[in-house]
Amino acid sequence: MATMTYRQALAKAMREALRDNPKTVLYGLGVTDHTGIFGTTLGLEKEFGKERVFDTPISEDAMTGLGIGLALSGYYPIHTHIRNDFMLLAMNQLVNSAAKYKYMYGGCFTVPMLVRGVIGRSWGQGAQHSQSLQSLFSHVPGLTVIMPSAAQSIMDCYRYAVNEYKSPVISFEHRLQYDYSFEVKERRDDQNPFTSYLIRKGSDVTIVAVSVMVQEAQRAAKYVKEKAGIEVEIIDINCLTHPDVDMILESVKKTGKVIVADTSWASFGVCAEVARIIAVNAPDSLKVPLKEISMAKSPCPTTKALEKHFYADMGDIVDNIYQLCSGKEKHNQSLPDEEYKKTLYKEFKGPF
Amino acid sequence: MSNLSMDIYRKLYLIRKSEEEIRRLYPENEMKTPMHMSMGEEAIVVGVCHALSHDDQVFGTYRSHALYLAKTENTDNFFAEMCGKVSSMQKGKSGSMHLCDPNRGFMGASAIVASHISVAVGAAFANLRLKNKKMVAVFFGDGAIEEGTFWESLNLACLMKIPVLFVCEDNGLAVHTSESERHGYDSITDIVGKFKCNVLKEESTDAETIYKLVLKAIKLNEENQMPCFLHLKYYRYLEHVGINEDFNIGYRSKNEYIDWAKRDPIKLQKSKLLALGYGKELEIIELQIDKKIEKSIFLAKKAPFADESELYKDIFSDNEAVI
Repeated sequence: MATMTYRQALAKAMREALRDNPKTVLYGLGVTDHTGIFGTTLGLEKEFGKERVFDTPISEDAMTGLGIGLALSGYYPIHTHIRNDFMLLAMNQLVNSAAKYKYMYGGCFTVPMLVRGVIGRSWGQGAQHSQSLQSLFSHVPGLTVIMPSAAQSIMDCYRYAVNEYKSPVISFEHRLQYDYSFEVKERRDDQNPFTSYLIRKGSDVTIVAVSVMVQEAQRAAKYVKEKAGIEVEIIDINCLTHPDVDMILESVKKTGKVIVADTSWASFGVCAEVARIIAVNAPDSLKVPLKEISMAKSPCPTTKALEKHFYADMGDIVDNIYQLCSGKEKHNQSLPDEEYKKTLYKEFKGPF
Repeated sequence: MSNLSMDIYRKLYLIRKSEEEIRRLYPENEMKTPMHMSMGEEAIVVGVCHALSHDDQVFGTYRSHALYLAKTENTDNFFAEMCGKVSSMQKGKSGSMHLCDPNRGFMGASAIVASHISVAVGAAFANLRLKNKKMVAVFFGDGAIEEGTFWESLNLACLMKIPVLFVCEDNGLAVHTSESERHGYDSITDIVGKFKCNVLKEESTDAETIYKLVLKAIKLNEENQMPCFLHLKYYRYLEHVGINEDFNIGYRSKNEYIDWAKRDPIKLQKSKLLALGYGKELEIIELQIDKKIEKSIFLAKKAPFADESELYKDIFSDNEAVI
């Protein structure tokens, strides 16, 4: 089985989107500059021409509208944002236009397009370069929101979006994942990839996670298996707007213990949504109260001294697993120390 | 001359008569949709649409009755949608504010001020690349100029040489707020003229004058590959939303209306044709249109509503497995 970094998968997906669909156009601020959206669009202007790959004015709203107009005319626009925080400037077009263009006109139009937004973390990204805004967009019927947690998901989901799906798709890519390596297999042609994935099977605890928190969950699962023999099941929601509800419920009924791990704030977000799904469909399945792993409910501080309290990592997940399994907040099990974590994390260094 | 004048009158009369019927029928409460009436602006939309071809595309606002009828003349669908019936191609999901007809180049109408302008620029950009010669005209009020996205879209079209017609229908009002309370400038055409954009303006209520102006705009575009900003004045006869006059409220004077009504676009066109001796032909045309509208309303009233399953249709891609 081959390995590929998240960045390589993105670069491959962008190239194949342009190669396989002659109507694909790729644009966004910096798409053609020397950094090429963190190396995911490099060389594509040269290969496919500036008609199809182009830089833009800093006009997020109008550039999104331009994409909708292109999509109405048979093109497949891919619009990039180097931080998803900038997508708030396109919120009107995404929510009021793209999400509704099909429904509001009784199905007379379709707006197939892909919007890529990157989530920042670490090295002092601060309050406006580190948000994780998936829940804002997932709330709105008509927008399909994905958070690929691995290279395979990038390849499957982007290929499907570009070549088969006829609605606007918003993808949140986590900047921390760009340098992670993943195993990749042959693409799953026969399956709709806009669903959830069972990442790891287990019988003791269920972790429902998104994006980079899927990796954190995997690290935590490995740790508690080695140290305490606890079997953790991990579900990667992957498509926030179209989760595999049955997969989640089946796992929860089996383990009775659930941790939801999101990259954003807990309230009104993925944690709230998964809790809602369980409460509505299987209220008796939880043996103990659900645990939520999320950002602290504050804007993101810049200094490392505060930032380390803002984000959760695999240590917090391990702590929660022990709490669930022991039924006590003070479980007396040792958590992974800094030395152990250092072997897992590649230190992210700025500026981006 | 006469064919052109007659064709233009036919569209003007169709629009005015259709809206008069809405005013007559609205109290029956069968048209459950907020009516933003077009009365007063007919010369602009008819003039512009008559200069466009069948395949050319338009994007409108929530005030698009006139634009829809000028571009499509499809009164059957118009009244079906006003009544919210499944016989409309929008199946009652559009109402008065989101009219469209992709088969006749009407590409949508937005109720969020200015939000459709960049979408129209995108469609024009697509046409440019497809080399299909389709023109795009986007209609918006003077209030839309106060939105940032207007300037983003203008900059984009000028930068990328996208041949879109920006049609500013200036009635001097944003809901009830006058331009003196909104504009930090004197002349919008002076400002837009600083961009790489053709700029034309007109205060006439003569649809033929507007028609000729738009032909000029299209010719200019062919010559210099720049978009065109058309600044066109008109007077909104009725309240912002609803079917009534609102001169009693006091934010504007009825004398303004009386001045504009003297050169009402429908009366003006009719008087020109009468002066040319087309009285008989006008009678025939008006009678035909009256019957067409009467039939459309009859069909709309008779048609069924969509059933509940329609509520969940057309939200996502058709190949969506899970909703």
